[in-house]
Amino acid sequence: MSATDGVTLRWGDLAVGDEVPLFELPVTATVIVAGAIASRDFMPAHHDHAFAIGQGAPDVFMNILTTNGYVSRFITDWAGPETVLRKIAIRLGVPAVPGKPLRFTGVVTALRRQGEEGLVDIAVRAANDLGDHLTGTVTIAL
Amino acid sequence: MTEPVEDALRARIGEWVGKSISGAGPAVAPDDVNVPMIRHWVDALDDRNPVYLDAEYAANSRFGGIVAPPAMLQTWTMPRPRIEGIAERGGAPGEIPADHPISLLDQAGYVGTLATNSELEFERYLRPGDRLESDIVLESISDRKKTSLGKGYFVTWVTTYTDQLGEVVGRQMFRIFKFDPSTIGAPS
Repeated sequence: MSATDGVTLRWGDLAVGDEVPLFELPVTATVIVAGAIASRDFMPAHHDHAFAIGQGAPDVFMNILTTNGYVSRFITDWAGPETVLRKIAIRLGVPAVPGKPLRFTGVVTALRRQGEEGLVDIAVRAANDLGDHLTGTVTIAL
Repeated sequence: MTEPVEDALRARIGEWVGKSISGAGPAVAPDDVNVPMIRHWVDALDDRNPVYLDAEYAANSRFGGIVAPPAMLQTWTMPRPRIEGIAERGGAPGEIPADHPISLLDQAGYVGTLATNSELEFERYLRPGDRLESDIVLESISDRKKTSLGKGYFVTWVTTYTDQLGEVVGRQMFRIFKFDPSTIGAPS
C-alpha cells in the first residue's frame, strides 16, 4: 500500500509495532543539490564540494529542509496521500553525503485520539554507513 | 573553573532569550505559496503524492484542493540570497547584524556550527495563495559545554509562521551547537 496506490491507511487498522516499509534513498550530489535549491537554501556546503571539504565535511551534504522533506515522503508513501502530518521531531546525526545510501525505517509507537482525530506516532530513523543521520518521531493524523 | 569572559558572553546572549532575533522584523515571504515552487520541490524530492499537484485528485481529497508539501514550511520565507560573497559569509544569505547572538558567538571564536535538533509542527496545510511571515525568537542558550567537537553552547530558537490573517500555521524549534574548533581536547 502506498500513496501512489491512492489508498490512505485507516487509524483503526493500525497497531503499535507496525513497521513502515524500508525506503532506501540513493544519495547523490544531484539529490543533495536538487533538494537544497528547491528549498531555496543556497548555502555552499549543500552544492560546492571544495567549500564543504574546507568546512571539515566529507563532501557536500544534505540540508535539513531536504531531510525533513524525505521524512515526509517516507511517511506519506506508506500511510497514503490523505495523511496529515502534524509533527516531525528529529535529532540530527551524521551527514547525508553522495555515495552513501540513506535507509529510512519506522515503527508505530502509539495510537492516540485527540477529539475526533486519530493520531499515530511513528519512531523514525534514517541511517547510512556512517551512522544515524536522524532519529525521531513523526506524528500524523489519519 | 569559571572563565569570566565566557560567562559575560553567555550573559550577553541570554539577554536575547524570549526576544525576536529576526533582525529588522518578521521575514515576509517573497512570494505566495505557489504551484511552480511546489512542482520544483516535488520533482527534486521525487514525492509523487497527488495532493500536491493533481488539482482534480486534490479537490476530491480531504484537503479539498491542492496543498503544499508540509515540509516546505521553511522554504516560503527563506531570505532571498545575495549570491556574491555567500561563501565568504559562511553561507549566510545576507549580512548578519553584529549584535545578533550568532554573530556574538562567531566573534568570540565559536565559529563551528552543528545542527542537533529540528521539530516542525504543522497547524494546517498551506494552499496556493497563502502569504507567510516568520519570526524567530531565541528560546535558550545552554551553559558552556565541553564535547568531542570542542567547547561551545547549545542555542535554541523557535520560528513561528503566520498567514495573511495573522493565524499561526506552523512552528519550528531548531537547536544548534556553536563551538570553538580550536578547543578540541582542551581541559574543561
